[in-house]
Amino acid sequence: MLSKRAVSSFVSLLVLIVLVFFLSRLTGDPASLYLPVDASEAMRENFREINGLNDPVLVQFGNYLSDLVRLDFGDSLRKARPAMDVVLEAFVWTLWLAAITMVLVVVAAIVVGSIAAFNVGKPFDRIASVFSLIGASAPDFWIAIVGIVLFSVTLGWLPTSGTGTVWHWVLPIAVLFIRPFGLILQIVRGSMINALGSAYVKTARAKGVKSSPIIFVHTLRNAMLPVITVIGDQAAALLNGAVVVESIFGFPGVGKLMIDSILQRDFNVILAAIMVTAIAIFLMNILIDVAYALLDPCIRT
Amino acid sequence: MTFSDGTAFDAEDVKHSFERSQSPEIACEVSRYFEGIAITPTVVDAQTIEFKTEPAQPILPLLMSLLTIVPSETPIEFTREPVGTGPYTLASWEPGQQIVLERRDDYWGDSPRVKTANYVFRTDPAVAAAMIQAGEADIAPTISATDATTDMDVAYPNSETTYLRIDTSIAPMDDKRVREALNLAIDREAFIGTILAEGTEVAVAINPPTTLGWNPDIAAFPYDPERATALLEEARADGVVVDTEILLVGRTGNFPGATETYEAIQSMLADAGFNVRLQMVEVAEHEQYYSKPYAEGRGPILVGAQHDNSRGDPVFSMYFKYDSEGRQSGVADPALDDLIARATGAVGEERAALWSEAFAYVHDELIADVLLFHMVGHARVGPRVDFTPSIATNSQLQLADIGFK
Repeated sequence: MLSKRAVSSFVSLLVLIVLVFFLSRLTGDPASLYLPVDASEAMRENFREINGLNDPVLVQFGNYLSDLVRLDFGDSLRKARPAMDVVLEAFVWTLWLAAITMVLVVVAAIVVGSIAAFNVGKPFDRIASVFSLIGASAPDFWIAIVGIVLFSVTLGWLPTSGTGTVWHWVLPIAVLFIRPFGLILQIVRGSMINALGSAYVKTARAKGVKSSPIIFVHTLRNAMLPVITVIGDQAAALLNGAVVVESIFGFPGVGKLMIDSILQRDFNVILAAIMVTAIAIFLMNILIDVAYALLDPCIRT
Repeated sequence: MTFSDGTAFDAEDVKHSFERSQSPEIACEVSRYFEGIAITPTVVDAQTIEFKTEPAQPILPLLMSLLTIVPSETPIEFTREPVGTGPYTLASWEPGQQIVLERRDDYWGDSPRVKTANYVFRTDPAVAAAMIQAGEADIAPTISATDATTDMDVAYPNSETTYLRIDTSIAPMDDKRVREALNLAIDREAFIGTILAEGTEVAVAINPPTTLGWNPDIAAFPYDPERATALLEEARADGVVVDTEILLVGRTGNFPGATETYEAIQSMLADAGFNVRLQMVEVAEHEQYYSKPYAEGRGPILVGAQHDNSRGDPVFSMYFKYDSEGRQSGVADPALDDLIARATGAVGEERAALWSEAFAYVHDELIADVLLFHMVGHARVGPRVDFTPSIATNSQLQLADIGFK
């Protein structure tokens, strides 16, 4: 199953590279953005020559592919460094940000969502639902700015932005946390309510199982399948880079890098970033499949 | 005088620096200033270098001040270990995070007061402003006008001039009356203190008043929509098709309030009887409208743009924005070309007088464009440092100008 999956993912990746390669070149000439507005045609011509942008696009694509098989991803136009170095440097930041956030989100959403499901209609459930809906719908740039004004400027508890200490991670993670937390909490709650109403729980209760922990463990396992799908979806979004959060907090992650390189027409960086995130998402999908298989014996082969 | 790597600075270094900037192996942006001039540097002795130019270049010293000087050992390709003769050295560089400069002990000139300078980058100006407030940073050179509410915030002329570039080769804007009507139809004062920050000034030249030859005798166009309409009617009576749709191109985020500014301009022009369609575009697309070669078969276009020249001499602006050969020029006027050529070759008072004449000619005789505003920027300066932002702050922040209280 895995090898089949790998082959189809590899094909998708190739299609993606072809698409991005040609589409990004349709956006225009990098020379007019790299060089000053008053640069002459001769300078532009020279810039294109140095960077191989004067060749026909098909020739450029051939060169790119032949470099690619030697794992040479080309240089960044803007940064005059290997594109892959630039991307990996940024991706490590994003990976940490995404990993820490998702672990916190998953733990918190499952705990709060389950408690809410056990207490449907009671105050705890109502409060959790309201907060999760607010969280799932509030714009993150607004939360980020309010967070900075409140916790950094007014209270002075946390640094406004940047990197360096562990405290610098608190606000970005908190802002990233809110939306997936709200969403996953709703799924957990709904799924748990479903499971708690199912025949096997009723049977267990009828047989005298009073202990909530036992019921919790059994229902959770079944309730988790739809939750895992959403977790995968949310994690993929985070791996693509949290553009807003990275921009506001000055976090040098891959989302901001990708947006910047699209705006600057730094083609090699766009391609390298897309390949890295695509591979990361592919690997994550495998993890999700493994999780499915662990939870649901029917899926195992 | 020595470089920060300890090697001596001499004429050979200047020669190498000049030749390196001209090398086709790197796309050095400085080279554009020397284009069309044949320059031959000759080292006379260690302290003397001779530049021969063809044609003569009276502003060569100004041009040379734009050249970055590196040791003669510097390879042609990009270097990540910048070495210069200035008072600071690059101490560390963490991509995407920060750059740290350290003061040199062996600097030849007066030692600046700042010992270590730490540069960090924030996309959102509100965050940059918050960093000063939280005491994490000392200077945020550009914050938005809406955030400039504390007594740490200073407004300064940022040397940007906003204007509408007219393509005078296309009807109906090839008619001078139509161009005058464009100018009369816009209520410039109405923008100041509303959409644009307090302190913004109405422009009568593409360069700010601190520029050589800036002409105090030029009067700004008054806001006179009736006269504008009358001029349009007059042109219409002479067979000019004044109803042709004019495309007004603005750049999204070019300055705070850019979209609102262009929307207001569009409606003012429409009130005077123009048929204007506004299109806000991104940098790259804007550049296609703004710079030559212009598209074939284009209709009448007004390009809203900003120009920045804080060097004190208008030569670049004049050439690029008004000469027939200029990359962003919307006019082709032999008399103006001649005037620019003569001013470029002149020195001293004659130079100032010729530029004055050129500014007046562009504004009053040719009505080459719709000059709008000299803009202001806002900086936030923390309580620890002693620094007053100036017209140069927009393009460079001189560490040596910064002190402590």
